[in-house]
Amino acid sequence: MKEGCLFLAQLLFLWLIYQLGLIIADFLHLPIPGNVLGMLILFILLSTKIIKIQWIETGASFLNKHLAFFFVPIAVGLMTYSHLLKESGLALAVVLFGSSMIGMAVTGGLAQFVSAKSLKKEEEGSVGEQRHSL
Amino acid sequence: MNSVTLFSIVLTMIVYFIARLLAVRFPSPLTTPVFLSTAAIILILVLGGISYEEYTPAKEVMTYLLGPATVALAVPLYHNRHVLLKKVVPAFAGLTAGTFATVVSAVWLVKAFHLSETMAASAAVKSVTTPVAIEVALIIGGDPALSAIFVMVAGMFGAMFGPWLLTVMKVTDPFSRGLSIGTTAHGIGTAQAVAEGRLQGAVSGAAMGFAAILTSFIMPWLFPLLY
Repeated sequence: MKEGCLFLAQLLFLWLIYQLGLIIADFLHLPIPGNVLGMLILFILLSTKIIKIQWIETGASFLNKHLAFFFVPIAVGLMTYSHLLKESGLALAVVLFGSSMIGMAVTGGLAQFVSAKSLKKEEEGSVGEQRHSL
Repeated sequence: MNSVTLFSIVLTMIVYFIARLLAVRFPSPLTTPVFLSTAAIILILVLGGISYEEYTPAKEVMTYLLGPATVALAVPLYHNRHVLLKKVVPAFAGLTAGTFATVVSAVWLVKAFHLSETMAASAAVKSVTTPVAIEVALIIGGDPALSAIFVMVAGMFGAMFGPWLLTVMKVTDPFSRGLSIGTTAHGIGTAQAVAEGRLQGAVSGAAMGFAAILTSFIMPWLFPLLY
């Protein structure tokens, strides 16, 4: 019972941060959606230890684990667009699939390449220092 | 609450949990929970003669926690903050190049298929989270409703085939995988990245945010250059 209440309180707290994000984004006309701003706010609050991770961990982990669930009812809305699918479905599928895969390949490939390079440099650097100290 | 709404909620939850189990038992792009659940629910609604309008009240109830769920991504981000700080350079390089690549290729592919400029503008924003995509689409002459659909389908493709593509390309570094998924497949991809690992989920959530910011800054001048 106590745990259930605590869990609900954590969800409520996350909801409040979300609302705060919405209000600030709207008020300052930021090019960031309220939910992303809320994420940044919570990250800052955690990093500055204003909020302890234990206060929200259970609720947050639950929501993280089931993030996909919340997209399902929205994606079901695709059922109202069967006419678009008939008209130019194949072309659009190629556009969306192709450009998504190109974006992913470039992002992932480059990020891994650059981090491997900087890691190598770091290692060489530390080897150099060792030699120097010898 | 009427019976159709109650049925829709129970149906969605049951289908989602079955899809989750299937994803673990038979991992494949086709068993990606968000795709499989959506496809199964649409099929059941169509067969049961339930329209999307009738399903909408249930949708409102179930998506109430989507905002807080996105905020909650700050927790894995916090747990992995040291890794993130170390990887600022590769993160910036990958995110910027990837965002440009996905926008440019989307517009060029639309042109190759001789689709309208409205389609091009709507497809250009498909990699970022819906609220931002809608706003940016309006600025560059896209259709907000169309963009919302493109965002959803692109996210679905990203969640289904992104991890597979990265594995084929031998991108094994969890940080780079998360960055790639979040940059091009926003929240729907992030949901899949979370299932892959905590670091992947954290990076994907952060990448989704930064990709949205970057896109809203570059799109107003980039799109006119492309089309």
